[in-house]
Amino acid sequence: MRRIRILEWRNPTGAMLWEIWARRKVNFAFHTAALLASLFCIPRLQHGPPEWLRGVLILVLISFFLGAYLDLLTCFGYIEADARNVKLGYPARLLLKPVSTLRLILVPMFFGGAAVISVLLIWSHWIMQPLVHGGILSPCWLGAVMLSVFWWMQALAWAMPLMPGRSLIMLIVALIHLLVCCLPLMPVSRLSGWQWPMLAVLLISAVMTAWIGLGLMRQGNWDGPSRIARFWSRRHPAMTRKARRKFGSAFGAQFWLEWRRQGLLLPGIVVGILSAIIPIVFVVQKQVGEPVEGANLIKIIFSLSLSLPIVLSGIMGSQIARFDQLQPSNELPVYIAVRPMTNGGLVIAKLAMALASSILTWLVMLASACFWIIVLESHTLISLVSTISPFGIVACVIGGVPPLLLLILYTWKNLLSGIGAGLTGRRWVIILFTYWKGAVMIAMIALLMAAKFNGDFMTALLHWLPGLLILTLAAKIAVAVALFVLGMRRNVITPGCIGLIIGGWLLCGLFVAGYACLVCHALHKSDWLFPVTLGGFLLLPLPDLAIAPLALAWNRHR
Amino acid sequence: MKFPSPSSAEAVVAISNLSRHFGAKAALEDVSVFVPRGSVLGLVGENGAGKTTLIKHLLGSLKAQTGNVRVFGLDPVLDPVGVLGRVGYLSERRDLPGWMRVSEFIRYSQAFYPGWNEAYAAQLLEQFQLDPTQKIKTLSQGQQAKAGLLTSLAYRPELLILDEPSSGLDPVVRRDILEAIIRTVADEGRTVLFSSHLLDEVERVADYVVMLQRGRVVLNGRTEEVRRDHISAVLVFAEPPAKAPVLAGAHAISGHGSEWRVLFSGSRLELETAATQIGARVVEELTPTLDEILVARAARKGN
Repeated sequence: MRRIRILEWRNPTGAMLWEIWARRKVNFAFHTAALLASLFCIPRLQHGPPEWLRGVLILVLISFFLGAYLDLLTCFGYIEADARNVKLGYPARLLLKPVSTLRLILVPMFFGGAAVISVLLIWSHWIMQPLVHGGILSPCWLGAVMLSVFWWMQALAWAMPLMPGRSLIMLIVALIHLLVCCLPLMPVSRLSGWQWPMLAVLLISAVMTAWIGLGLMRQGNWDGPSRIARFWSRRHPAMTRKARRKFGSAFGAQFWLEWRRQGLLLPGIVVGILSAIIPIVFVVQKQVGEPVEGANLIKIIFSLSLSLPIVLSGIMGSQIARFDQLQPSNELPVYIAVRPMTNGGLVIAKLAMALASSILTWLVMLASACFWIIVLESHTLISLVSTISPFGIVACVIGGVPPLLLLILYTWKNLLSGIGAGLTGRRWVIILFTYWKGAVMIAMIALLMAAKFNGDFMTALLHWLPGLLILTLAAKIAVAVALFVLGMRRNVITPGCIGLIIGGWLLCGLFVAGYACLVCHALHKSDWLFPVTLGGFLLLPLPDLAIAPLALAWNRHR
Repeated sequence: MKFPSPSSAEAVVAISNLSRHFGAKAALEDVSVFVPRGSVLGLVGENGAGKTTLIKHLLGSLKAQTGNVRVFGLDPVLDPVGVLGRVGYLSERRDLPGWMRVSEFIRYSQAFYPGWNEAYAAQLLEQFQLDPTQKIKTLSQGQQAKAGLLTSLAYRPELLILDEPSSGLDPVVRRDILEAIIRTVADEGRTVLFSSHLLDEVERVADYVVMLQRGRVVLNGRTEEVRRDHISAVLVFAEPPAKAPVLAGAHAISGHGSEWRVLFSGSRLELETAATQIGARVVEELTPTLDEILVARAARKGN
């Protein structure tokens, strides 16, 4: 009887909504739990908790909001990955159903849009507003812009799955939305009356793009190589048919594969964001003519931009372990699993790719910073740079290399932070690890805040800190040694790989510790020397690297 | 009927008492298979019989829960490099990297095998009529099978494992190319293990056949012996039986009235004795095809 009742509402719209619900039940439960927990926290925040607790709670609530909201976008996005055809797009199984194209696009767009706006308004009204006491943009405007971003991402993903320049178009669309979103903040009063009509045009054109594009796809007009690709291969037959040199080793081939799949991801995202930020800075700079507020704003944006690779690599950490991002499961793809290469070898190729990616990212950052300073003629930044100029150009360049290496190392470390969990190929391990990492991070911040606001606690912490650090380092080394021995016994790692990992760890650890000591010495903080030296070694993820081959073996030999 | 179990030194593949469970479901139950060097072994069975699971154990993708798996005398889980360097594999799902071009996939695969034969790879590329500049994602299923086959043959592996190699290939390619390749590989003294739904193909190519049913080996032996040990016969009853007759040793019996067709496992004499006991006589005898044997055994198990 119950089954029949369920079937009653299974018209096409009902079935599509049921699919969204049935596949993401756990996610919706998580959203509800996060919202309820946040609602529970808000009254406690308003009754004056200790400063450190307040800071932690605000951090937790913002993390909940961002996590829930981003997840919501993927829940209602209605975009599926097809690893076989290497594309993201509208679920192909629905394209052959006897349902009109308009309905196919409107159901996920309308219901997804309603969910995205409602959740944003609920969170901003009940949670974020009491926290920040009024933001710089009205929630309604922000919600409408988010709706337009959401619809455009859907439209582009659905309508042109095989188009080669889709990523570029997405970037341009995101940039346009960023500019439109900032319209109320712009000091150009003539534009303020046009903000809503502009947004309406964006919304309508998103629906039209999705409708026309999906319609063309249903007629088979997007099948096969795109016209641009065909035109390119006709114009440059020599280029496409040029035989390339063969790889010198299996490691070279595996590194190439890793680089092609993930190497350019972090630098690409950083370039994308920077190319969106630089024009805004340019506009702000021209509008405000660099008075004190404008200069401060530029300094803040510049600092935030510099932290981009660190933040992004932290977010991407759990994804880097995957061998194929479009594959629905986390299992090792067969075409890699059957290659005669040790698990240790596969891991080393991944580590090398992550290092190369971090280096490229920071070179891009360096180039952007130079571009920013020179081309945009930002006097604020030039004056910042000039503070170190008395030491001479050569000294500046030489002095700049160690911090750059440190930043590269930290980005690399962030990229590898979830490699052990990710390589297991088990979803539950990855989820568990993510929660564990979040909990540890919040605990660390709570500890630091408690120390900051409680002098006695700070004194006690400083007293015990060297001992605690020694213990942690000893535990890390012991765990790593045990894992290496286990790996050797199970034949998943060779002594060469172990030597490479330990050698690299020692070298990097010595560099970080040495540089940190130098800084301590320069700042006359000799009492910090010992903890900072230990911290240098603790920073690097030795147990994560030691567990990676075992995790991969668990994935490869199920 | 079982073919002699060669010692582990002679057998390229030696599986003994292998069992594998996925949760409560038994995928393989006490499976023992030995593949002699230089032979072609066909693995047959219905969907979900455990063919791919068995193959995955040979590649080390699955770890034996009980029993032993040895390929070239090595454990594929403990020594994947030692085993996989000598094995060529074509997967059933054609899991190839769709984002690579054919030439890139060949270049990538080549790096792992020192014995890669470039001339042979070029010959196969021409034979399979593959465009090296084309992306794998734009290839048809059959062309993807050819690309996968090329990269698993070009280094002349000692053991070639093909999981449903025919799927997606047209009949001409199947007969003229695939079967020719399998026979050439075997003639060169190398070993082939392939799974297939197409039993006529197995019958033509395989020296040995292993039939799996619900994770158990129900038949294994030389292909000719398996066929010879079964008899497809027509029985005629003096009095038409009211319901389907029960014949000891029969895997399937079908018909109506006084004439019934039976698939019998045993000798001709045993068939005649059993038929006399139920009041029938044998009027026609044929050697059954593998297809008939599989269908009869599957139907019997299903009942």
